[in-house]
Amino acid sequence: MAKIKLRVNGKPVFLDTDYNRRLLDVLREDLELKGPKEGCGEGECGACAVLLDHQVVNSCCVPLANCIGKDIVTIEGYAMTSRYKILKEAFEEEGAVQCGFCTPGMMIAAESLLNKNPNPTDEEIKIGLSGNLCRCTGYNMIIKAIKRAAKAGEGIW
Amino acid sequence: MVKSYVPETLKETLELLDKGKYQIVAGGTDMLIQNHARSPLPINYKNDIIYISNLEELKGITEDDDFIYIGACTSLEEIMEHKLTPKLLKDTILEMASPAIRHTGTLAGNIGNASPAGDSLVTLYLLNADVQLQSLNNTRRMCIRDFITGVRKIDLKPNEIITKVIINKINFDKAEFIKVGPRRSDAISKLSFAYGITFHNNQTIDFRIAFGAVNTTVVRHPEIECQYIRKTKEELKESIEEIITAYRPFIKPIDDQRSNKAYRRQVCENLLREFILEL
Amino acid sequence: MKDISKSIKKTDSNEKISGSATYVADIKLDGMLHAVSLRSSIAKGKIKEIHFPEIPEDYYIVSHKDIPGKNIVKIIFEDQKIFPVHTITYRYEPILLVVGPDKQKVVDIINQTKIEYIEETPVFDWVNSAIDYHFEKGIGLEAFKGADKVIKYDYETNYQEQAYIEPQGFIGYPEGDKVTLIGSIQCPYYVKNAVIQALNATPENVRVIQPSIGGAFGGKEEFPSLIACQLAVAVNKIKKPIQLLYERDEDMNCTTKRHPAKIHFEAAIKQNEIQGIKVYTAIDAGANIGLSGVVLSRALIACTGVYTIDNLDVSGDVFITNTVPNGAFRGFGAPQMFFAVEMFMEHIALDLNQDVLSFKRKYLAKQNDKTSTNGIFRDPVIMPKMIDKAMKVSDYIKKREAYNNESVYKGIGMSLFFHGCGFTGSGEKDIIKAKVKLRKEMNGDVSILVAAVDMGQGIRTTLRKVVANILEIPIEKVIFDFPDTDKVPDSGPTVASRTMMIVGGLIARACIEMKERWIEPAFTVTKQYKQPSYIEYDEASFYGDAYPAYSWGVNIVEVEVDKATYQVNLVNAWSVYDCGKAIDERIVLGQADGGLTQGLSYGYLEVMNHDKGVIKQKNMTDYIIPTAKDMCKMETIIYDNPYAFGPYGAKGVGELTLIGGAPAVCLAIEQAISRRIHKIPATPEYIMELVNHG
Repeated sequence: MAKIKLRVNGKPVFLDTDYNRRLLDVLREDLELKGPKEGCGEGECGACAVLLDHQVVNSCCVPLANCIGKDIVTIEGYAMTSRYKILKEAFEEEGAVQCGFCTPGMMIAAESLLNKNPNPTDEEIKIGLSGNLCRCTGYNMIIKAIKRAAKAGEGIW
Repeated sequence: MVKSYVPETLKETLELLDKGKYQIVAGGTDMLIQNHARSPLPINYKNDIIYISNLEELKGITEDDDFIYIGACTSLEEIMEHKLTPKLLKDTILEMASPAIRHTGTLAGNIGNASPAGDSLVTLYLLNADVQLQSLNNTRRMCIRDFITGVRKIDLKPNEIITKVIINKINFDKAEFIKVGPRRSDAISKLSFAYGITFHNNQTIDFRIAFGAVNTTVVRHPEIECQYIRKTKEELKESIEEIITAYRPFIKPIDDQRSNKAYRRQVCENLLREFILEL
Repeated sequence: MKDISKSIKKTDSNEKISGSATYVADIKLDGMLHAVSLRSSIAKGKIKEIHFPEIPEDYYIVSHKDIPGKNIVKIIFEDQKIFPVHTITYRYEPILLVVGPDKQKVVDIINQTKIEYIEETPVFDWVNSAIDYHFEKGIGLEAFKGADKVIKYDYETNYQEQAYIEPQGFIGYPEGDKVTLIGSIQCPYYVKNAVIQALNATPENVRVIQPSIGGAFGGKEEFPSLIACQLAVAVNKIKKPIQLLYERDEDMNCTTKRHPAKIHFEAAIKQNEIQGIKVYTAIDAGANIGLSGVVLSRALIACTGVYTIDNLDVSGDVFITNTVPNGAFRGFGAPQMFFAVEMFMEHIALDLNQDVLSFKRKYLAKQNDKTSTNGIFRDPVIMPKMIDKAMKVSDYIKKREAYNNESVYKGIGMSLFFHGCGFTGSGEKDIIKAKVKLRKEMNGDVSILVAAVDMGQGIRTTLRKVVANILEIPIEKVIFDFPDTDKVPDSGPTVASRTMMIVGGLIARACIEMKERWIEPAFTVTKQYKQPSYIEYDEASFYGDAYPAYSWGVNIVEVEVDKATYQVNLVNAWSVYDCGKAIDERIVLGQADGGLTQGLSYGYLEVMNHDKGVIKQKNMTDYIIPTAKDMCKMETIIYDNPYAFGPYGAKGVGELTLIGGAPAVCLAIEQAISRRIHKIPATPEYIMELVNHG
């Protein structure tokens, strides 16, 4: 057991737990943040994606030890931002959501992409989403949603 | 239950290593998968663990006149975006896994993991990269080809860690990394191929070829390459079948869940042929 | 009144995007125990003895001994045990559950339990037929007598894994004598009825609730009944809440997949005309029959594709092997057959030196033509118009001609297909007997009471839209909660592209009655399914109308093949669909994109096989589904062609969109490499073989 301090969704969090736990489990079990999902458990599907210091990571592949002092944002925290609102509306407008299991991860991947590249091309969006599997949509509507958000949110990213 | 440590300095890490047997974890992207337990149980490590991803000393990229030095804990994404990184290595990293993995995974981790399908290894072999290994009382530098000794086997002493990856500053006239995966991203290679070639007065002065995922380690043979120095493009094209034949004994792929021997072998030859034909 | 097809925001996208939608793994109950399955390490044999470690207090073994009712998972064909007694029939078969408060200890008990087996030689060859079917149309094989020649080809399809992103799972809890189950499911009443039989319970004592579902695609049709029965037995025994969640590798190793199939076609040809067709289809059921008979019959009925062939001899077998049981997957037998028949028609035309498209058009089914089972295509068939449109938007003729140049390694392919909407034959009338309720509340809200599950296809939005439109009330006044069998009647399973057409049709009828009685303060309208009187079908002889209606489609796909690596790159895809009437255009377009993606990747990308009964691609790393980078632009056009009994004319849409993908991409690849394809997936390895061997 170890004492660990990190920030989650803007708030400091103090944990007394095992370094060898996955970030995903700490978020879901200890912090009741159920937005990140477990789809594959091995970093392929991206359903567990969260932002670690503003960059998308798969929380199923991050040991808690690597989060000490880090800034973690889950979909629950991201949902409080104005960027989220723009992306959310774009996802709704374009029909980018079907079963929804991959959606929080897609939103996080999209944020990480737009944060670096506010005006991405289709190909850059595809690269940005390449670690997030969706079995329902065939991706076209998600790509369109991100393009729409980039346009609607010009200057915000 | 295994013990785990998160040292704050490199010195502290090396002191720990000097006293006990540990498995090093950097980004964790491979280690967590290899030691996956049923969720939500803690990672099922077999050995005591030292986490090094917090070691600032092992982060960042520097250069001198001849070399680029990549700290062992620099993320793949940071390497990919860094101005000092050679284009070939950037292109290679872009083909690896996904943004989420590239944000946490490291180059040193890919080397330490020594998977025959590790994409970066092909390019690092091609670039004659070295690794810097450090223990409490010693620092040594080793060519990656000597460091990786087999499937998931490396010449790392129990008290050492990889601290740097060192790359020659080199410019090719033409260089490329081609990943042949089961899909266009987020996948483990079926095979991979890289080359680098430079001409002077229309003759080759540098000619390098490497294949990945078709033998226990990366296939690279300077003794074959040197036979094709001081050749013109035309001479190389005339020698295509000879070059392919020279590599044939070293392309020894396996059948597995991702592909088969015949395909891996033939595509290696096709890519080699295409590279020379398109010079 | 505004056009029902005009899209609205999906009613559940807000909760899904924000991460607040609750899936089964998100539910935590006080004192909930963990259950983990102990699985067989052999493919066939008998259990001689099980040696358990010492089982601590508060930990439990749950096995066949604890089943109060019948040790059978109630599906259509009752041949699957809930827990095996002695006999093991496939690798990773779940033998018992270990249950307890600390998951690590549960896993330790599993690891320390040793099973002694008497191993038997497993059967992986397709030799043990459990079901065989045969039917004829016209003069059957007589048609082959005067033929100039007989053209014969064999086609093969492999497994496909549903690969929903949310793995399977349930939680269960007791309330007195009652057992409640919440699970990732398509069919609440399949689960309820299975659990009633397992527990020998009264209907009041079993309750099934659906949470948000992270994709299903048929994979959560019948398989969840097995998990539910096991968990219900555990809850019944231990009387505590328990969670049973599958890990990804567990899900991929031992849940149902699309049946591999081998299809043999023969066509009797006289003066370049097809006189008759003979087709034999074998499918691999895996270790038990389950739904395989129904899958085979849908495949057989589709044997002539969208073409009218007067004389047929059709037969097939369901083979039992010691491999993971196969089951429902979007398309349900049709994707296998449409791949084969579309390739076969193309191959016949090429053998006869005929223009492929003209040849196909010549046999295209028309209104009032007889189906393969002597039923009738009663509604207008607008395929000629749809084909024209698809060709126009894709610039098909020009590309087809340009890509005939062998050196470009490009190709364009077109598939024509339909999907019989709803259950095959009399299933809807005799077995399901769907019932729906619509309740007007005191405050003027209207509650939809059906067991239809939204697994992403959007039924929570579209059904509400139907009700709001007919009753002319705001959609916010229409309530459609997640199905709970304590509250909703059995409107049937969410399968077979039946939900909008059948359940939506009943809801629409209920709305009409409600509208007439709107002045009444609060009341409930109930409607039960009645088969249209003209529909008659005999299951045994495969005679009559197998489906009340058909949805139709055209897919055109353009590809490039890499000359060095034989990798296929999708360039563009176009689709034209007749699904009656789109209840929400964007939702139908979403189904179109997603279905086509699964169909295309079934055709060229998704590889799954087994080695001695062990699935080789047992995780998301090794089982390859497309990423965003693999997909191309997809353009879809929807044509209205209303069906009288569907709400606003709607027919089925979900499955249709998957069916044409594999033949279209394979026909495009054929052109690119100038070789014929006979099996899917058309992997780079297979393409290389074809290119090498001419």
